[in-house]
Amino acid sequence: MHVFTLMVTGRFGARVYVAYCTLYCLGTILAMQISFVGFQPVQSSEHMLALGVFGLCQLHCFVDYLRGHLSASDFQVLFKATIVATGTILAVITGILTITGKVSPWTGRFYSLLDPSYAKNHIPIIASVSEHQPTSWSSFYFDLQLLVFLFPAGLYFCFRQLTDANIFLILYGVTSIYFAGVMVRLMLVLAPVMCILGGIAMSGMLNRYMKDVDASPVILGMPAGNLAQGKQGDKRSKHKQESNFVMKSEIATLFVAIMCFFLISYTMHCTWVTSEAYSSPSIVLSARSHDNSRIIFDDFREAYYWLRMNTPEDARVMSWWDYGYQITAMANRTILVDNNTWNNTHISRVGQAMASSEDKAYAIMRELDVNYVLVIFGGLTGYSSDDINKFLWMVRIGGSTDRGAHIKEWDYYTPQGEFRVDKEGSPTLLNCLMYKMCYYRFGQVYTEGGRPPGYDRVRGAEIGNKDFELDVLEEAYTSEHWLVRIYKVKDLPNRGL
Amino acid sequence: MSHTRLLFLSFVIVVAGSARADLVNKNVETVVDISSQLAKISNKVTVENVGKTTLKSLIFGVPAHLKERTSFVTAKVGEHLLRVTETKLSGQDGGFWKVDLRSDLAAGRTLQLNIDLVLSRALVPHPGQITQKEKQLVLFEGNVYFFSPYLTEKQSLTVNLGTNSVESYARIQPVSQSDNKLNYGPYEKVQPFQEERLNIHYENNSPFLTITRLERLIEVSHWGNIAVEETVDIEHQGATLKGSFSRYEYQRESQSGISSVKSFRTALPASAVDVYYRDDIGNISTSHMRVLSDSVELELRPRFPLFGGWKTHYTLGYNVPSYEYLFNQGDVFVLKMRLMDHVFDDMYIEHLITKIILPEGCHSIELSAPYAVERLKDTLHHTYLDTKGRPVISVSKRQLVENHIDDFELRYKFAKVLMIQEPLLVITAFFALFVLVIIYVRLDFSISEEEEHSRVDREHKDK
Repeated sequence: MHVFTLMVTGRFGARVYVAYCTLYCLGTILAMQISFVGFQPVQSSEHMLALGVFGLCQLHCFVDYLRGHLSASDFQVLFKATIVATGTILAVITGILTITGKVSPWTGRFYSLLDPSYAKNHIPIIASVSEHQPTSWSSFYFDLQLLVFLFPAGLYFCFRQLTDANIFLILYGVTSIYFAGVMVRLMLVLAPVMCILGGIAMSGMLNRYMKDVDASPVILGMPAGNLAQGKQGDKRSKHKQESNFVMKSEIATLFVAIMCFFLISYTMHCTWVTSEAYSSPSIVLSARSHDNSRIIFDDFREAYYWLRMNTPEDARVMSWWDYGYQITAMANRTILVDNNTWNNTHISRVGQAMASSEDKAYAIMRELDVNYVLVIFGGLTGYSSDDINKFLWMVRIGGSTDRGAHIKEWDYYTPQGEFRVDKEGSPTLLNCLMYKMCYYRFGQVYTEGGRPPGYDRVRGAEIGNKDFELDVLEEAYTSEHWLVRIYKVKDLPNRGL
Repeated sequence: MSHTRLLFLSFVIVVAGSARADLVNKNVETVVDISSQLAKISNKVTVENVGKTTLKSLIFGVPAHLKERTSFVTAKVGEHLLRVTETKLSGQDGGFWKVDLRSDLAAGRTLQLNIDLVLSRALVPHPGQITQKEKQLVLFEGNVYFFSPYLTEKQSLTVNLGTNSVESYARIQPVSQSDNKLNYGPYEKVQPFQEERLNIHYENNSPFLTITRLERLIEVSHWGNIAVEETVDIEHQGATLKGSFSRYEYQRESQSGISSVKSFRTALPASAVDVYYRDDIGNISTSHMRVLSDSVELELRPRFPLFGGWKTHYTLGYNVPSYEYLFNQGDVFVLKMRLMDHVFDDMYIEHLITKIILPEGCHSIELSAPYAVERLKDTLHHTYLDTKGRPVISVSKRQLVENHIDDFELRYKFAKVLMIQEPLLVITAFFALFVLVIIYVRLDFSISEEEEHSRVDREHKDK
């Protein structure tokens, strides 16, 4: 995009040509060495633009070369003809490639950047990831603080002195601001350019005002040679200095002081944010008890280590895809789906198993050849990122493929349209596998003083279906604070003689 | 010819296998403690020399079915330990030990000694599988009589069960049950090698943890520190868990999972510092350390409670100062440390491997162990600032109990001047780096000479 803009604004030169060609060729070839990327840079639509600009570079330079060797009128004719010819050829080739399927169309992930509602309607798995949600204003301020205000100032400074590099910054800044507004995850893309533009703004302003901080009149210490000339100029400058003297220096000092204060507060904000929001590992949770001592919830590692030590080496574990990498790394067991979310149909099958009743789920689990099932349950401790809160997404994803057509999201809501786990909850929800696995034997537990047994601290309700037994599963292990619950899938009943 | 040979052979056999008629056990009081996972038998034996010659040693044993289970044997007169060596008696398939007496036993004299045995794996969970609600019942198959090659005139046996819920016990009269004990005897005129199965089926909820493999790594540094690291594979070998594990019942009912192990206490040397407790996936946060006056007590809680058939694995390490264990005179060094250390009370270790890493440049290494161990091949270990590698001495032993905690002595020679080697290596490396940089900045790698000229020209112009 940058190179294209440079070409349009007439700043294209040998320097940019060399740089872009080297970057594009080397970069694409090196990227294609990664087996996951493979031939995508020359096959997928998202990369076509870069390829197009590359071609345009070559054309532009060729045209420049010719211009030096032909007369003006000849050149015009040739120029027009070339443009038309190239344009048609390109259009035809692109059309043929797209139609025959050699060049794949835009994938869902990129469509959702342009049309944020696309994912919600068509691909629930992309919509379910919390990092794919649109960014809120508060998260902009939380991550960037002062830079939010310095960003337009930086843009202004860039526009004042347009150089090749500044054009790049402007383009990068504007496009990444748009994309960061669409998806929270792309805040990462915005961060570097924010810092750069903020730095430009800050240094521009400080440059302007620092000179005036030290505005004491320079009467003494002037070089002797200039004394004659200096006297006249001196009077004028003394005049100027005297008239603006008081305000300039004070205002400048005040401004610099305010800027320093902003910078210091920015630093403190950043260190605070890093320590509170971006440093706490979510694998070991901690909370403060009523007497201010710290309680550590090490349930995840406890359960994963139990899986690692006490299950057969070739056991297969079914869980939701959020925990796939953790189980693979810590428990060292085979799982069905993991965070790569590579196979949407497979994830949908797992979602169907979680959302169906016990018998139907047993058929799916036998089909997927599962030995253990793992769920995360936060009702006892108040941990809100558990599987019941993610359950609706499992339902949506489970119902998004053909074999899950019988799973409809509305079945899991009450007639009034609420998602409830207490007596008012929908019977489909109260009898599905996920509900039973999370709340098995929970109905007898006293979680909070003054509440009935089986009170779910996250949903804030007493559960509806309390005393039930599991037919097809057997409780294999539950961690200390009931955060992780592992069930063993029972074998087929022995129908022998 | 064959006749005489046969006669001679039979005579020899008779002599060897027959009861030695010159020693008589006048009184034997046996206490069998089976309240933990190990069977501890302690016999208070009064022997009388009824023969004509002075005796220098005597023999005792265990029946054949307990031979593989015997882990530790001691014999004491008063407070003095006697030397015990394993022997064989032809014609008998039990396990026998010969005890060397400190002072010879003259004819007609009596001697009182204490013979202690520790049996491991002698308590078998029966039934082998229990649910979480049930209690653990174990079966002990021992011998009522004192198994010895001599006649025993009087013997009594007390079995300490630690509980008074007994399913069944062998009714070899006279027998009575009181409190947590079973009292057998007194029996008169017990014949040599007489066996009678003592089967007791009772409840035993003490921890039945077996350390399947313990690897103890001792790294010695002459700069004043010894680092010890123990890698432990521990398994609950009591009755295995049948059915599901219900966390609700485990937390609510105190009797649920009574035979499971939640935590155990390890005693470390008193000067242990920098203790770490971790496993494959990271630090284990559930532990408590208390520094006492004579040891450091560590209450270790594995990540999950150990039910029957469940196992876990952890690594425990600490540092001790070397002046307590490493002694030297000139060039000769002696390391005196425990071959194995305490993991929990009444422990049973199936396989122990102890490795001692000595600093580079040690030679003439001699190891003397307190009991028979298998010495594995010496290897080399390479770590920081090593050129040749550090010598590693490995020993291995199986079936150990707490009584095996004893010191070994490792003698080696090390020229003290070799300690300079490590700092010298670092100094040389940095020195070489600095010299290289000094040389490098004085070299000129410029491709074209015009730049230099143009810079010089501009300087001239300015002036």
